[in-house]
Amino acid sequence: MKQIIIFLTILFSAVGTWAQDGKDVVTKTYKVDGNCGMCKKRIEEAAFVKGVKRAEWDKEKHLLTVTYKPSKTDDDAILKSVAKAGHSSEKMEATEADYKKLPECCHYKTNTCND
Amino acid sequence: MGSIYKQLLLGSMAILLYTYATAQDGKADSTKKQNLQEVTVKKRRAATQISMLDPLKKELISQRELLKAACCNLSESFETTPSVDVAFTDAVTGYKQIQMLGLAGPYTLITRENIPDTRGLASITGLTFTPGTFIEGMQLSKGTGSVVNGYESVAGQINVEWRKPFEEKEEKLHLNLYQSSQGRSEGNVVYRNQINEHLSTNVFLHGKGFWVKQDMNGDGFLDQPLDRTFVGANRWFYFAPNGLEIQGGVKGAYSSNVGGQTNYERGGEQIIGKPWGFELNTERIEAWAKIGKMFKKPGTSMGLQLAGVYHNQDALYGNTNYSGVQRSMYANLIYQTILGNTNHIMKGGLSNLIDDYDETFRMTGYKRTEIVPGAFAEYSYTHSDKFNLVAGLRGDYHNIFGAFATPRLHVRYAPLKKSVFRASVGRAQRTANIFAENMGYMASNRSFMVLGDAGNPNPYGLNPEVAWNTGVNFTQKFTADYRDGAVSVDYYYTHFQNQVVVDVEEPRSVRFYNLNGVSFANALQVQADYELIHNLDLRLAYRWYDVKTTYGTALKERPLVATHRAFANIGYETRNKWKFDYTVQWISSKRLPMLHDHATNSFLAETYSPSFWQMNAQISKSWNEKLEVYVGGENLTNFMMHHPVLGAAHPYDNGFDASMAWGPIMGANYYVGLRYKLR
Repeated sequence: MKQIIIFLTILFSAVGTWAQDGKDVVTKTYKVDGNCGMCKKRIEEAAFVKGVKRAEWDKEKHLLTVTYKPSKTDDDAILKSVAKAGHSSEKMEATEADYKKLPECCHYKTNTCND
Repeated sequence: MGSIYKQLLLGSMAILLYTYATAQDGKADSTKKQNLQEVTVKKRRAATQISMLDPLKKELISQRELLKAACCNLSESFETTPSVDVAFTDAVTGYKQIQMLGLAGPYTLITRENIPDTRGLASITGLTFTPGTFIEGMQLSKGTGSVVNGYESVAGQINVEWRKPFEEKEEKLHLNLYQSSQGRSEGNVVYRNQINEHLSTNVFLHGKGFWVKQDMNGDGFLDQPLDRTFVGANRWFYFAPNGLEIQGGVKGAYSSNVGGQTNYERGGEQIIGKPWGFELNTERIEAWAKIGKMFKKPGTSMGLQLAGVYHNQDALYGNTNYSGVQRSMYANLIYQTILGNTNHIMKGGLSNLIDDYDETFRMTGYKRTEIVPGAFAEYSYTHSDKFNLVAGLRGDYHNIFGAFATPRLHVRYAPLKKSVFRASVGRAQRTANIFAENMGYMASNRSFMVLGDAGNPNPYGLNPEVAWNTGVNFTQKFTADYRDGAVSVDYYYTHFQNQVVVDVEEPRSVRFYNLNGVSFANALQVQADYELIHNLDLRLAYRWYDVKTTYGTALKERPLVATHRAFANIGYETRNKWKFDYTVQWISSKRLPMLHDHATNSFLAETYSPSFWQMNAQISKSWNEKLEVYVGGENLTNFMMHHPVLGAAHPYDNGFDASMAWGPIMGANYYVGLRYKLR
């Protein structure tokens, strides 16, 4: 039992250390095209470039909300990575080649979401 | 049951809604939205989620969570879930039993897409017939569930969703191969075909073999019997454009086990001087259908569920023979409508359950037929996002036990968006299948004493089990350093009005009798989930049980129940598709009753088993969404019981007892496997 308590204490204090407050942080929202739950995962992963703390894409509204450190990255870098993954945004169009790489169900220009 | 109820309702409704949504594609009405919500919740990222809007606390266990135990059937798949304990039933048969809220597996209702599945004789053996590869996800809820799903569930409900044939982004063909170092081989195939926009079908195949004689603990008994299991299923979905949905399926399962002493051969003579053997042959056939219709009136639909089961098992434990046949029919008709607006939903319906059992235990026959027609109504009230409740009542008439009522209530209150309180109370009733649920004790020379009232027409002369379950839980979601987490606490109290007590306090017998005194189970669980760094999920959990029953005249802790269990799991996924998963848990000591020691021919005093640690780890890598290879290890601490079989050298004498399995029977196990997906 004692071992467990120690184990838990260490883990929780670790969480505490990580949870530092960020002054160098901004949150911005961009329109990003996509259609389904699969797109969501891909967009969020692509947006998570170095310096990004959180990326969340709203499937209904097609809005990507990113929280990042301006000292480490900027919206160009983030949206470029998203475009490279095949998803166009208000600032960056995905190339036809990258768009074609998407699975068929994610071809948001022609298909609508069905999940 | 509460969970079941809600799940059944929601499940059938979701299917109905799905039909409707499919049929009315593009029409963005409120029903479709509702359906979408149901679906999205399941598809979020974390492997296990707790729903926030549901009046019942449901843990949604996704495929990703299931993959943490690479080869798994239903019982094994819970080894990484803190809410469910998994333990061997005995040291001979290799079967595992689940436990929820400190209560044995049969107290939990297991449903497949909201149709009751492994009930009755299959409550132990049936879990192996749902391979993990077939499963899309599961919803686990504690406490009595919805009255729509029946009156049976005491501890909770586990609803298993199979892979659907019409989900376009799912692979067409899924192939899974597995091999373990202990000698288990497994192959699974799931195939789906969307024939046209209305019609789709699934084919499921599973084969498993355990073909190496293993005796890791060196007691002369196989740790796991040699095994051959085959499962096959086929099902069809038809969505008509007018809001009608029809689905139907069949499943067949066969398994054959031979175990016991290492030199036992199938069919061997079982007398003193010859090896002691275990054999179990099981055949199971199921067929089911669901018909749903969405009406023009908003929020109004009707669904009919039909299922039939034939289950035949024949077991031999030394010279104890136990065989049983179960034939069951289930019908459930659900009508749902709204009263004024969608804040008031009314469900009502009729059900009929027929169970026919024919068992033979040690040459004595036990036959019975239970016919239980019933009616139910359930009212759901939603007052904004903050408050809702579900109140249900059902009345059933049992041909042997007579009429009984089953009231259930679930309330949810969310003072803040990220904080939810829930409470539930409900009644449950069930007939104990004393032999099938306690097959573990047959791996001993204990005498079975059924102490019912003489001349009583009840099954085994015993009363039905009646329990009241109340529970409260609290879930708080949070965001720390821009990453999400959740903390939840739940507490459940189950009070038995009557229970069929399984008494093993006397070393040479198992006695079954009606509870005379108190019996209860307290269960507390605390769990924290947090994404520690990007894509690294941490889960910590602790649970506590206080389960006591009156044995004879003394109130005692139930044997073989661990009071404490602590659990930690770390899962990490890299961008280039490596996945790492590690689980460590600590299981406290369990009470062992007085036992017989063969060597000294005397009784061993009541004692406690040692506590132990367990570790599992797995690494997998996938390439371009097609091929995934995994390697892993289970029980990495290599902890096992060294003398799981008492009196192992004299299996035909008094005091032979393989039923006191409090820990792992086998040591570390390593495995490798692959998954291939064709889109």
